[in-house]
Amino acid sequence: MSNSATEMLVAACIQFLQAHPPFDRMEAEALRFLAEHVRLAHYPKGAQILSSEMGVARTLYILQHGRVQVRASGVASSSNVESAPNTLGPGQAFAIAALMAQRPTSSSYVAREEVFCYELPADDFFTLTQKSTVFNLFCSQYIAGLLRQSQQQLQLQFAQRAAEQKTMNSPLAVIVKREPVSVAPETSIRQVVALMADRHLGSMVVVDADEQPVGIFTLSDVLKRIVLPGTSLEQPISSVMSATPQTLPLAANAHDAALAMAMHGIRHVLAVDEGGRLKGVVSERDLFKLQGAGLRQIRHAIDAASSLDVLQHAREDIRQLSLTMLAEGVGGQEITQFISTLNDTVTRRIIEINLDRHDLYGIDWAWLSFGSEGRDEQTFISDQDNGIVYICTDIMDRELTQLRFLDFARDVNADLDTCGFPLCKGNIMASNPGLCLTLEEWEERFAQWVRTPEPQALLNATIFFDFRPLYGRFNLAHRMRLSLFRQTNGNPLFLRMLAQNALSVSPPLGRIRDFVTSDDPEHSGTIDLKKYGVRLFTDAARVFALARQVEATNTATRIKRAGALMNISQEDVAASLEGFNFIQLLRLRHQHFEQEHGRAGDNFIRPDELNEIERRILKEAFRQARKLQARLKLDYQL
Amino acid sequence: MAWFSRLFSGQETPNPALTAGQQQLIAAWRQLPVPDLQRSHYRCRYVVVDVETTGINVRTDRLCAIGALAVVDGQIDFKDAFHLLAEPAEPGADPAPGLSVRPHSEPVAGHPLVDALISFLHFVGKAPLIAYNVPFVAAMIERTLTECLGIDWGLAWIDLAWVMPDLFRDVEHAGGGLDAWLDHFSIASIRRHHAVSDAYATAQLLQITIASGAHKGFMTPASLIELEKARRHLHQSG
Repeated sequence: MSNSATEMLVAACIQFLQAHPPFDRMEAEALRFLAEHVRLAHYPKGAQILSSEMGVARTLYILQHGRVQVRASGVASSSNVESAPNTLGPGQAFAIAALMAQRPTSSSYVAREEVFCYELPADDFFTLTQKSTVFNLFCSQYIAGLLRQSQQQLQLQFAQRAAEQKTMNSPLAVIVKREPVSVAPETSIRQVVALMADRHLGSMVVVDADEQPVGIFTLSDVLKRIVLPGTSLEQPISSVMSATPQTLPLAANAHDAALAMAMHGIRHVLAVDEGGRLKGVVSERDLFKLQGAGLRQIRHAIDAASSLDVLQHAREDIRQLSLTMLAEGVGGQEITQFISTLNDTVTRRIIEINLDRHDLYGIDWAWLSFGSEGRDEQTFISDQDNGIVYICTDIMDRELTQLRFLDFARDVNADLDTCGFPLCKGNIMASNPGLCLTLEEWEERFAQWVRTPEPQALLNATIFFDFRPLYGRFNLAHRMRLSLFRQTNGNPLFLRMLAQNALSVSPPLGRIRDFVTSDDPEHSGTIDLKKYGVRLFTDAARVFALARQVEATNTATRIKRAGALMNISQEDVAASLEGFNFIQLLRLRHQHFEQEHGRAGDNFIRPDELNEIERRILKEAFRQARKLQARLKLDYQL
Repeated sequence: MAWFSRLFSGQETPNPALTAGQQQLIAAWRQLPVPDLQRSHYRCRYVVVDVETTGINVRTDRLCAIGALAVVDGQIDFKDAFHLLAEPAEPGADPAPGLSVRPHSEPVAGHPLVDALISFLHFVGKAPLIAYNVPFVAAMIERTLTECLGIDWGLAWIDLAWVMPDLFRDVEHAGGGLDAWLDHFSIASIRRHHAVSDAYATAQLLQITIASGAHKGFMTPASLIELEKARRHLHQSG
């Protein structure tokens, strides 16, 4: 029933809305629909308009008059205490995110004065998002705004944990964890050195009967004071120790310790209690860890490393630094790339160390990485995926040359394992004779997979076609790439099959529930973010890249470069990268937590344990994956 | 006392000028159940009305327009609104022939006003009525209904001009009327003195009133009626 009264009230409502974004830009028809379907409600001062206890959001609220106070509630923890309470005024809308996710709101909304609200029922809200592209865009941007908030929240969480962790301001009492090992002055040098070797100690403190330190003996003293002078090992330790060691009270902080070390040119400071009794040893290395090793220091340490020991430490430093980056809000893409880059450095160093023992002089060869390492997308738990390509000029030498490379590769693989890159369960390693091949053999292998795209060949393509040279003659890898493009170009069927393979896994978005979780009893209620997350993007990106002859292996780079050639808009490219990065970030965070709790670290995340905003963004990320898949379907008529 | 009013309504002589269809509609309105005034404000339907007239004399001035809108469960739905135009309010403007209601003039069955008033009856139903300054508004509407439809409306009225000063005692309100209340709560008018606009503004005052009333123990239409009665009694005896 249209009548002049309704007409007048609706017109007035439209006029009000037009004074406020996003309604000022909204299409006339949609705006009229909105004004016709809202109801005006009133809330007296102090009334709770909406809160998480009220259940799933059923209404969009547009403030017509008065102010509303927003308080974050429900969403995890104290991190929100920081965010100042927020006030909304006329023209501002709320409960958009909760409506879109069909979940309870995460904040509570309280009227600060007499408040009038236009209220739009959920059904009409969804109709409106369909009717109006402006409103739809507004809602997506609103969600994007929440994404930033969520990242800030994430940073805050990590920053808080970082703060709980030790800093240079922490007292020594917090820094020294291990019970100090000490000996009496009359202990023989032999006993002391044996004890140090046994316990892997870099230093030994010598204490008197009152447990007060009287001297210190360090590993570097062994050379200068025992080996070179030929000191008898039966002598007491007091004869070779450095007397009157530097001590600091337990209440002194790490800064003081660093200062003491710098002033006296020493590497160890002893922490003592009020009675002067030894409570712990602080080494230069402990302080270095506190400072948080910088990228340059780590690289320097790796490049200078002559033993696996140092490289092992470097791996730990990389982990620490990645964590710091996570806390500083660095994106998933940057962190995975960073981990890959430093892992490359470690790998190169290991290769160099092994080259000293293996003579490969005069042969053109390159060390290749595959899989996630080949894509520059390593996380905390990536294992080894590598191979070797070499040139064999004389066919007679082939077998012998391969044996030499296999010997070399076995050592490198073992050393990598020692340094925290676990051996590949699928034996995708350079020490596998099938992956230590001449250029011609690699080309032949690629050609075979492309010509006969059976399931195993397609699976191989997803691992090996993401190859990247890491050490040696990079031009060999380039030649492999060109030959691969020649093959894929000449075999359109292969790309179609590869696309089909990429579509075999769908984003785990549910029709009824938000997410489809694993029905494997061992991982029930979880989503495997590798199989059902990252892989959706990498698989699609691989097809895009091969089809457009984009040389890059990195997923983000592939999507960017191929996207430009495919006329995908910059916004769409950015949106899919954001989705991909968010999934990577969730993986990194999850792996970090798992490892911190002494577990191996996997990719199974529980959507139930994410907060509302994260769930909402994860859903959006999966939708982005679906968009990439839709493009594949379109391109290959699947 | 529904039986009682029905007894009398039976005695009312149906206006011979009305068509059978119109009389049937009026009879149907009479049969509508009377709502329970003991239900919460937020579980009932109020109808807020305002009028435009040619002047302020209840006996001699004529009704030009009625604006009405419902407040259902405490909310205003723009689709649940009514506008009845009897005669242009502009003085001097020549009213369109047959559209004006003159005292004692015979309404004609084909007259659009009769149908409009019947629609109005059905729009309101038997809901409790809200107005600012009920004696004037009610008199104007009820007189017109009696003249044109020959009925005695007999619905409950609540006058915000009486209820609000009691619920908002701390508000300085020295006879400022509707405008003062609108000012106080900074409620904007679409077009002041337009019947629909004023009814809309009054409806927002009602929303504020029932929220405050509910807070102070006046939870139902019946309790507001009681409150008004008590206040009138106090003022008339004092």
